[in-house]
Amino acid sequence: MTEPVVRMKGVEKYFGSLHVLKNIHLSVAPGEVLVICGPSGSGKSTLLRCVNHLEPIDEGEIFVLGQPVGFRTLPNGRKVPVKEQDMNRLRSQIGMVFQRFNLFPHMTALENVMEGLVTVKKVPRDEAREKAKRLLEKVGLGDKLQNYPSQLSGGQQQRTAIARALGMEPKLMLFDEPTSALDPELIGEVLAVMKDVAKEGMTMMVVTHEMGFAREMADRVIFMDQGEILEEAEPEKFFTEPEHERTKAFLRRILAS
Amino acid sequence: MNHLWLFLLDTAGRMTSWDFWAAYLPYYLIGAVVTIELTVVAVISGTLLGLLAALAKIGAAKTLLTAGLKRLASLYTWAIRGTPLLVQIYLVHFGLNQFDITLSRFESGAIALSVNAGAYITEIIRAGILSIDKGQMEAARALGMSYAKAMRRVIIPQAYRRLTPPLINEFVALLKDSSLVSVIGLVELMRTARIYSSSTFRPFDAFLLAALIYLLLTTVFTTIGNYVEKRLEVYEK
Repeated sequence: MTEPVVRMKGVEKYFGSLHVLKNIHLSVAPGEVLVICGPSGSGKSTLLRCVNHLEPIDEGEIFVLGQPVGFRTLPNGRKVPVKEQDMNRLRSQIGMVFQRFNLFPHMTALENVMEGLVTVKKVPRDEAREKAKRLLEKVGLGDKLQNYPSQLSGGQQQRTAIARALGMEPKLMLFDEPTSALDPELIGEVLAVMKDVAKEGMTMMVVTHEMGFAREMADRVIFMDQGEILEEAEPEKFFTEPEHERTKAFLRRILAS
Repeated sequence: MNHLWLFLLDTAGRMTSWDFWAAYLPYYLIGAVVTIELTVVAVISGTLLGLLAALAKIGAAKTLLTAGLKRLASLYTWAIRGTPLLVQIYLVHFGLNQFDITLSRFESGAIALSVNAGAYITEIIRAGILSIDKGQMEAARALGMSYAKAMRRVIIPQAYRRLTPPLINEFVALLKDSSLVSVIGLVELMRTARIYSSSTFRPFDAFLLAALIYLLLTTVFTTIGNYVEKRLEVYEK
């Protein structure tokens, strides 16, 4: 049995009195592409953000690459925060792609991709520049190296953001609704890049409404509603014979649009 | 002839305003240099103070030290912004004397102005940093940067472009407020005007010349500010 890349055990999360994640148990195997879908407010983005500790969890445990995220439990049952440096090191191995891209607007596309390499991984500048160039060429932006994010389309920005995350050579990639902020005609180019990443064997957790992507690329789909994982299945079964009424209703709505 | 301009003319065979200005301008310029020195010192140290206090106010109060610094920064901006600059100048120059701390007039003026400016600049910098989209910090942290590194590499470089306009305003205000330091006898531009006002009995000419020099200085300040602002805007939409 290989160690899963992500392991969540009994995770609970509250925003004030709102119970956003309820008793989440989830494992992601190496090389697996997991698609998480569900209506808005179902907790799917929060779940993703807990994996790299952008949101702290209230109960339960999360392990990524065998290491505790945010808190670790001592033998006596007490929970203590993970050391800041350890958390930063772990995060550098987890790539994250955001709905709103979150590129650094004061840096060119090239500098955006170089930034983590130079400041976090301490790669020499020349080497980082070469690597960033290669990555941007790979996502089809070889001619936009010197452009600032404001000079790029949404699709180009998101592809740059993916290149930025890939530059860190992550063991796990988190995609938080990567195409939701894009004009419809730009979605395809981002999905194409994501498919390439998946084909290279990357372990991926993808929150998305793109059911075509889920069908084609996912090894497993989970459906969340009101903070719970309601359904968990291979895409074939998920789309043809979902078990829950709420899943069926969700799929009807999303496939109709 | 417009009556407003009569003061410029020799109506009774006395010295005209022009004569006065020509005669005293060099002395005023010496005063203006002191005003500029005072302002530059206050701008630089006030900005440093403001940056430190703003970071303390924004940062999480995780440890006893950071929680203490946070409280201290709040206390600082509250007290300084809630009391008149004039009182602060007296407190530094005469108040400290009570404890046998004797500062030169320039030192007192520079300290009072810096501390005062720092409090206002704290709030400007804090607002600028908080105006940066939360996603920027998240993206930086997700890459594995520490909080400090994310601040230094991602947040502050963006904030400082947004800060330029309000900071320029603050610097211009500081230049004008530096005239208050004349009350402790520092011979800067305002004090120079008061000296020649009483020695020549021509208060209108004396203070108008000071006003014109202040106006020139604030205009130059604002113009440089606008130029810098334009240069920094390149990447913004």
